[in-house]
Amino acid sequence: MDYIWQWNQIWDYRQVFVRGVQVTVILTCWALLIGMALGLLLGLMRSSRLLALRVPAAVYIDVFRATPILVQLVWIYYALPIISGVQMGNITSASVGIGLHSAAYIAEIFRAGIASIDRGQSDAAKSLGMGYGQAMRRIILPQAVRRMVPPFINEFATLMKLTTLGSVLAVNELLHEAENLINNTYRPLETYTAVAVVFGLLIYPFIWLSQRLEQRWKARG
Amino acid sequence: MSEPPIIRVQGLHKSFGKLEVLRGLDFEVSRGEVLAIIGPSGSGKSTLLRCLNFLEEYQAGEVLFNGQLVGYRRNGTGKLKLDSENNTRRIRARMGMVFQGFNLFPHKTVLENVMEGPLVVQRLSRHEAETRGRTLLARVGLIDKIGAYPAQLSGGQQQRAAIARALAMQPDAMLFDEPTSALDPELVGEVLEVMQALAAEGMTMVVVTHEMGFARQVADRVMVMDRGEIIELAPPAQVFGAPKSPRTAEFLRRVLH
Ligand SMILES: Nc1ncnc2c1ncn2[C@@H]1O[C@H](COP(=O)(O)OP(=O)(O)O)[C@@H](O)[C@H]1O
Ligand SMILES: [Mg+2]
Repeated sequence: MDYIWQWNQIWDYRQVFVRGVQVTVILTCWALLIGMALGLLLGLMRSSRLLALRVPAAVYIDVFRATPILVQLVWIYYALPIISGVQMGNITSASVGIGLHSAAYIAEIFRAGIASIDRGQSDAAKSLGMGYGQAMRRIILPQAVRRMVPPFINEFATLMKLTTLGSVLAVNELLHEAENLINNTYRPLETYTAVAVVFGLLIYPFIWLSQRLEQRWKARG
Repeated sequence: MSEPPIIRVQGLHKSFGKLEVLRGLDFEVSRGEVLAIIGPSGSGKSTLLRCLNFLEEYQAGEVLFNGQLVGYRRNGTGKLKLDSENNTRRIRARMGMVFQGFNLFPHKTVLENVMEGPLVVQRLSRHEAETRGRTLLARVGLIDKIGAYPAQLSGGQQQRAAIARALAMQPDAMLFDEPTSALDPELVGEVLEVMQALAAEGMTMVVVTHEMGFARQVADRVMVMDRGEIIELAPPAQVFGAPKSPRTAEFLRRVLH
């Protein structure tokens, strides 16, 4: 089989990729913001001694991890307005949906990170007279965050790739733009390859950074 | 007239679930006193110490620190209720604690470890906290290790830094939980020296220890615990010379060979 790769058309349409990347980055940023904030809250609740905090967080985490994100997105965009009367735009819906979904995973990263810190650390902080918030902020989380960097970068890469699901809500993110392009050029292989390369270029620097940070922290012990 | 005791424990009971770990303890510690606590492992020594500053909740009895109930308050009908976090924190800040495993903050330098309490809890200025930290680190012989991270120190140095960190809060009493048990034998002496100097300055100290030499020479009184009870509480000469309880005699025979 002799497939003739044609890259010049892709290059001619590079503006399409630039537009797509912009939307993808916006989606990623909003989803990440929501996922981090809610994930931290849920992770702290999940680590709590109080049943009234722990149980709702556990239910949230399990529900969002046990159901397909595609259904969650469709549900937020189409079903939520029927129930609540709140209709969000497609970019907002996609950001919120991906954010709520990732929060469940990020919560588990926080919970595991906090649980990995020796109890002696919070004992020492408490014995100095620190409160829960002070001990978390100054002693537990700074140590936990270091252990969370690898799984967190992992989740970040997953999240960025999940933004391609925005296409089902007609969000013009990278993949959606690429599919439109294919309809014009009939060059699916080149286009999808270009999409993969762009995602790789977006994500790889974070993986590299994560490895550098790990090495640096390991050196200090 | 004698001063009221700085620590008073009355009828203290503590259980972990069904396991009763402390079975009704009564004792007092007076200001400036050094009380050593010895006894077989699992007898509840650490748990007792952790009840004193309410790192563990207790189920019955009272712990009073400077006359103030620790961890609980009485409501209108005289029943005990969990005290607010703020009140418990205030009392905790008056008691320094030193742990078997040091528990220094690994992401902070030695000086930052010592400054942490004054800075965050007492809200001292950075300058004041640093001055206090340097003074204390000089006192425990670590002035040249100020910028090091805990992982770069020997066990003995880490424990001395941990003592300085606790002292930085200018506590009324210090609680030590087997401070030398995790150390290589050749490093035990430097930590005991620091503790001995502290005792000589008049610090009130409650020291759980396996160092019988320290209990004998430095402590004013020695408490022997076994299975959650106090089986002996007397000056060292009596505990080591003429123990009243056969269980004490048996325990001492084992640890002193
Ligand atoms: N957090 C805990 N949960 C359940 N049991 C505990 C806990 N801490 C201590 N214990 C139990 O309480 C008993 C007394 O322990 P501890 O106070 O550590 O004794 P010691 O310090 O004298 O060796 C032991 O049987 C121990 O297993
Ligand atoms: Mg112990």
